[in-house]
Amino acid sequence: MAAFQMSREWIGIQQFPPATQTKLLEILGKYKEEDVSSLTVLVMGKGGVGKSSTVNSVIGEKAAAVSTFQSEGLRPSLVSRSRSGFTLNIIDTPGLIEGGYVNDQAVNLIKGFLLNKTIDVLLYVDRLDVYRVDDLDRQVVTAITDAFGKEIWKKSALVLSHAQFSPPDGLNYDLFVSRRSDALLKVICAGAQLKKQDLQGSSIPVILVENSGRCHKNESDEKILPDGTSWIPNFVKTITEISFNGNKPIHVDKKLVEGPNPNEKGKRLIPLIVAFQYLLLMKPLVRAIKSDVARESKQAWEMRDSGLASRKT
Amino acid sequence: MGDGAEIVNMSEGEEKKLPEDRISDEQVEKNELVGSDEASDSDNEEEIFEEAIGSQEAPKTEPFEVDGLHEDLRLEATPENFKDEHEVVDDLEEVSSNESGVKDSKTYHSIVGESHGEVNVQDITTGEAERDLVTPKMNDDKGEAGEEISHGQIDSSLDVVENSEKATCSGSNLAGEDVNMQNGNTHSFPENGIISVSALSEETRNDSIEDINWEEKADVSAGMETEEEIGGGEGTNKNCSENGFVCINNVSGEQRNGETGAGYSSVKMASGDKSLNDSLEILNVGTSSPLEKSSPEEKGEIEGHSSSGFPGVTCREHETVQNSNVRHDVQQSPQRNKDLEKQQGSRVNIGPEITVSPHVEREFEVVSSDSRTESVSSLPPARPAGLGRAAPLLGPTPRVTQQPRVNGNVSHDQHQQVEDSTAETDEHDETREKLQLIRVKFLRLAHRLGQTPHNVVVAQVLYRLGLAEQLRGRSGSRVGAFSFDRASAMAEQLEAAGQDPLDFSCTIMVLGKSGVGKSTTINSIFDEVKMSTDAFQMGTKRVQNVEGFVQGIKVRVIDTPGLLPSWSDQHKNEKILRSVRAFIKKNPPDIVLYLDRLDTQSRDSGDMPLLRTIIDVFGPSIWFNAIVGLTHAASAPPDGPNGTASSYDMFVTQRSHVIQQAIRQAAGDVRLMNPVSLVENHSACRTNRAGQRVLPNGQVWKPHLLLLSFASKILAEANALLKSQDNTAGRPFAARSKAPPLPFLLSSLLQSRPQAKLPEEQYGDGEDEDGLDESSDSDEESEYDQLPPFKRLTKAEMAKLSKSQKKQYLDEMDYREKLFMKKQMKEERKRRKMLKKFAAEIKDLPNGHSENVEEERSEPASVPVPMPDLSLPASFDSDNPTHRYRSLDSSNQWLVRAVLETHGWDHDVGYEGVSAERLFVIKEKIPISFSGQVTKDKKDATVQLEMASSVKHGKGRSTSLGFDMQNVGKELAYTVRSDTRFKNFRNNKAAAGLSVTLLGDSVSAGLKVEDKLIANKWFRMVMSGGAMTSRGDVAYGGSLEAQLRDKDYPLGQCLSTLGLSVMDWHGDLAIGGNIQSQVPIGRSSNLIARANLNNRGAGQVSIRVNSSEQLQLAMVALVPLFKKLLGYYSSQQMQYGQR
Repeated sequence: MAAFQMSREWIGIQQFPPATQTKLLEILGKYKEEDVSSLTVLVMGKGGVGKSSTVNSVIGEKAAAVSTFQSEGLRPSLVSRSRSGFTLNIIDTPGLIEGGYVNDQAVNLIKGFLLNKTIDVLLYVDRLDVYRVDDLDRQVVTAITDAFGKEIWKKSALVLSHAQFSPPDGLNYDLFVSRRSDALLKVICAGAQLKKQDLQGSSIPVILVENSGRCHKNESDEKILPDGTSWIPNFVKTITEISFNGNKPIHVDKKLVEGPNPNEKGKRLIPLIVAFQYLLLMKPLVRAIKSDVARESKQAWEMRDSGLASRKT
Repeated sequence: MGDGAEIVNMSEGEEKKLPEDRISDEQVEKNELVGSDEASDSDNEEEIFEEAIGSQEAPKTEPFEVDGLHEDLRLEATPENFKDEHEVVDDLEEVSSNESGVKDSKTYHSIVGESHGEVNVQDITTGEAERDLVTPKMNDDKGEAGEEISHGQIDSSLDVVENSEKATCSGSNLAGEDVNMQNGNTHSFPENGIISVSALSEETRNDSIEDINWEEKADVSAGMETEEEIGGGEGTNKNCSENGFVCINNVSGEQRNGETGAGYSSVKMASGDKSLNDSLEILNVGTSSPLEKSSPEEKGEIEGHSSSGFPGVTCREHETVQNSNVRHDVQQSPQRNKDLEKQQGSRVNIGPEITVSPHVEREFEVVSSDSRTESVSSLPPARPAGLGRAAPLLGPTPRVTQQPRVNGNVSHDQHQQVEDSTAETDEHDETREKLQLIRVKFLRLAHRLGQTPHNVVVAQVLYRLGLAEQLRGRSGSRVGAFSFDRASAMAEQLEAAGQDPLDFSCTIMVLGKSGVGKSTTINSIFDEVKMSTDAFQMGTKRVQNVEGFVQGIKVRVIDTPGLLPSWSDQHKNEKILRSVRAFIKKNPPDIVLYLDRLDTQSRDSGDMPLLRTIIDVFGPSIWFNAIVGLTHAASAPPDGPNGTASSYDMFVTQRSHVIQQAIRQAAGDVRLMNPVSLVENHSACRTNRAGQRVLPNGQVWKPHLLLLSFASKILAEANALLKSQDNTAGRPFAARSKAPPLPFLLSSLLQSRPQAKLPEEQYGDGEDEDGLDESSDSDEESEYDQLPPFKRLTKAEMAKLSKSQKKQYLDEMDYREKLFMKKQMKEERKRRKMLKKFAAEIKDLPNGHSENVEEERSEPASVPVPMPDLSLPASFDSDNPTHRYRSLDSSNQWLVRAVLETHGWDHDVGYEGVSAERLFVIKEKIPISFSGQVTKDKKDATVQLEMASSVKHGKGRSTSLGFDMQNVGKELAYTVRSDTRFKNFRNNKAAAGLSVTLLGDSVSAGLKVEDKLIANKWFRMVMSGGAMTSRGDVAYGGSLEAQLRDKDYPLGQCLSTLGLSVMDWHGDLAIGGNIQSQVPIGRSSNLIARANLNNRGAGQVSIRVNSSEQLQLAMVALVPLFKKLLGYYSSQQMQYGQR
């Protein structure tokens, strides 16, 4: 794991209500047990779904610039906070969608930014209170997959923001959440070309998040979701689980950033293919031709031609 | 505040629906305006505002900044202006009440352009001003002239708007009483255009105010206390012009005159060409009335301002003036003025009072300057000042590129023009009745939706209806007949009675991204589950029609499948939209509701592909009639930058702005400003006691949404009504009545036409007209023959002569030439006499010269040729059609040739029509001339047909009969006229004539008397007077023309003419005069000076020098000279031409 230098003390954690703090510290203790000194979280998603806000909520301070109506620009930003020897790095990325397309430039910027870093957790953020999934979602997922490989989805979680929300049509909240997350997960599977067995045992967890200042609080002043759970500890806990879920973290190296070199691809197969061609294709062909020639008398020029042809081959 | 925003939005919404013509026409204008606005005086505006505010007892409004971009402006301005909703409402009430007075305004809401919207805002804000505002409107009914034609309408309406604004400002001042802006500041109050107001306190005389139109005002219904106020005027001056309307000087002059009608001319950018052509004409305006009546200083000032030499404009101006006289008005084009003003940087000073507007309105005529105009103006010396005739110049000057018509009729171009301006619609009760019904209907709708007339949207619509109605209404007295109050009362009554089903249905088409809640919104509208929805599935798979009743109002909603935001999905969207298009083909929606979520942040322009696709499929016009609906409106605004929640209203505003901006960008039309309505479909949405869903800002969204939709439908209905009215106007035999352009008819009647003559008499003009000549010059009979023989020198020989010798030689030559010509003429005369005597076989003389008749009148010396060439152009441009094509001379008795349009496109083939002429002779006694011409340019075709015949009975008495048929605008005018001449004395010829014209469905009859006095060989005078009547409408006119010729006419080239004409119509007196003089300078040059002036103060001076020598370079020196001259007489413009 790459070490990140400029990590500041995680002061924001003190902003949290004591109950939350306790839970967080408890979780962080787990890292100590495992002797993990840092965790890198990559946050990705469409624009305007609340990525930066989520980062801010979790960090407990206004670390990432948020503006309602303007997009942040294309540069990813790294927020890293350390608390008693443990460093949490969160990489906030710009929205990947620009004008109906996946913004390849943004993706490349992110990749470059992540060079030589290791991603322990990918958070794919989308809104809970959107009803439909569309091609854009699939494109975003595909773009992420293309950038980091589909393995990254094994270290990922689906974050649904705007979780404080009452579903329409009198739907049950839990039902809504599950349907919404199912829909998104389906998109992710499709976009990442994950097969069922790929995800076996490690299905992508869903984290609900509510970043608004209007988020309900429980009696101990924790921000809670409509289902009553306090989401920040839950969020951190889920991240922790993912980081320890046994799958290898994704190390972003040069190769990954630059993508596969087409010149390298399948190099080893070349002799095989040549042999295959020689043995299975050329031989029978030559034989067939020869027999054909033997059987039939031909014009002189034809014989010359066929001779040439066979030699070429 | 929320409502304030709505108002604004609303107004914008209307814009959208403006019909295309507005778009096309306005665009140009607008662009210009916008451009100029920016430059101009935002500072000043503020000033004005501040003053105005200061003057108001309780200033309610804050000055709002006017941007170059109005859209922005509105949006921004809104909050400020509408802080106090109540206030606004009150004001509106006022407005409406006033309106009611006005009453029969015509709704032409299409007119409502940007300016409109703005105006509205403004009006609303300046509560007090309202009354005044109304006043002008009412006056316009006078409308007499009114002729705005359909083309013109838009423009004219703009004018009105302007005026209203003007009024507004003045109103506010008045309220303030004694606000004198005497400090000579120029205030501009431009919305779209410029209003420049300047008050020169010193010069201002309060008296001048004069109640400009007292009478009119009196007519004006209640609530116009304006008189006193205005009278008291308190020296406030304001001219505000909107859209470039300039009230400028004219106003002041006018006011002074009090009696004269409007000194103000409204511009009409009638046909799309508005911009350039019109603008040139503005110049005239400047010179207005001050010349006549105002005090010297003012004159100076005004002049200074208005005319900054625009050399070369003259020609056109001529035309203008001409037209204007006919129609009694001067045209000006706004932009130009504006420019003018700016250029000069000078203040326009205006008379003290700003009473301004009434006049303006009333005069208002639209003269369209389209290409036609130009062509007319190309007949250079023709009636410079619109005063009937001016004697044609002698010699080469009149380079008439178009063949004169046989009967000397005014060219069709002119007709057309006139008609354009005259097509103003008459009062039409039926229409107003319908409008009233629409108003009632709308009030009922509003009532059912639980909205009071105080609701901003309702108020806006009513205001617009009223305004449009006024724009089209004419008589102030009738304005009171249908009032808002009555409409309101009627609506309430009908609603209370509960019978009389409301005849209204509205079709709303819902478009939007998938999952934003289209179907759900529909369910909410009907309050029942009409469409099945599913949060996670694409609920609507195909286009569907949903019908139902909301509060008893039939509403039909077209639900469409959701669109996909991804670029790669656009082909799917396209498919969906195409199916939608097919679906709505039969039954187009009244309004489009574009839904998006309030709580998404489409900052990544993610909607752009989708919006583009919508526009690709439906065209940008779909947005002209669209409402943006923001669903999930109850969602909480996101946290602001400081972590606290941002205000809901701010959030909504910003979000709306984002979407509107996206739409504008996608449509490529910066003017789009779709009204925004909020929608919340969530079952958990807060409700009020009545069970209506209420948004966080307290708004009950559903009625608002429906009201917006209905409003646009209503306005569209009104628009359609008025439009259809226009259309009918265009048809020749429409049932609609229309005031014939009396002044025009009259002036054409007054024109004296040569009588048709037998071929053998063709050249007898001299006798006929110049009876004196014959007898007088029998003395010098053989002078020429008595001269010693003379040998012409060759060029080489000439070169050898000394200067003085050369001079002598040339003088001698001239002298001999003259004598020779005289001799020839004499011989010709003799020959003719002979011929007459033996009137036997004269038929060998060429036929078909009838077209020359008119020319011959003034230049009998011209030698007729069978097929006269077109006059050659001044340039040697080889591409000129005249050089390229010649007419063939056939032996056919029909003289057929192409009609050249000289002012076509550069190097275009200028032949646009065919003319045919023939002279028939019946019984060898009665000549009948026939000439017809058909031209067709890119825009329209015109036909002109003339037949004339004359019978001589007895010595010196003849009667001619004629029939004309020609296009006047879109209609054909048929005229039958007859005219009898007596030659009772040697020196006096009298003529009386009658004419009947059928134009459209109206018949006008006219009578004229003419007397021609020939004092001696050199001086003659023609006086004529006449009246034209139609439907109780009478126009009187008269003209006087005096002509002083060279002593040795027709050889000499000296000629001076003086023309005066008077026209009175609807109490508008138009007087114009022109003077023209042609003097030969030296051997080869000719100076022609011409000046004209009318009682509006518009006039021009033109000086033209023709030279056949290389004097050009020297003439250049005259340019600064004249410029200087203009500095003194700035009101005049000059034309400086040289050939």
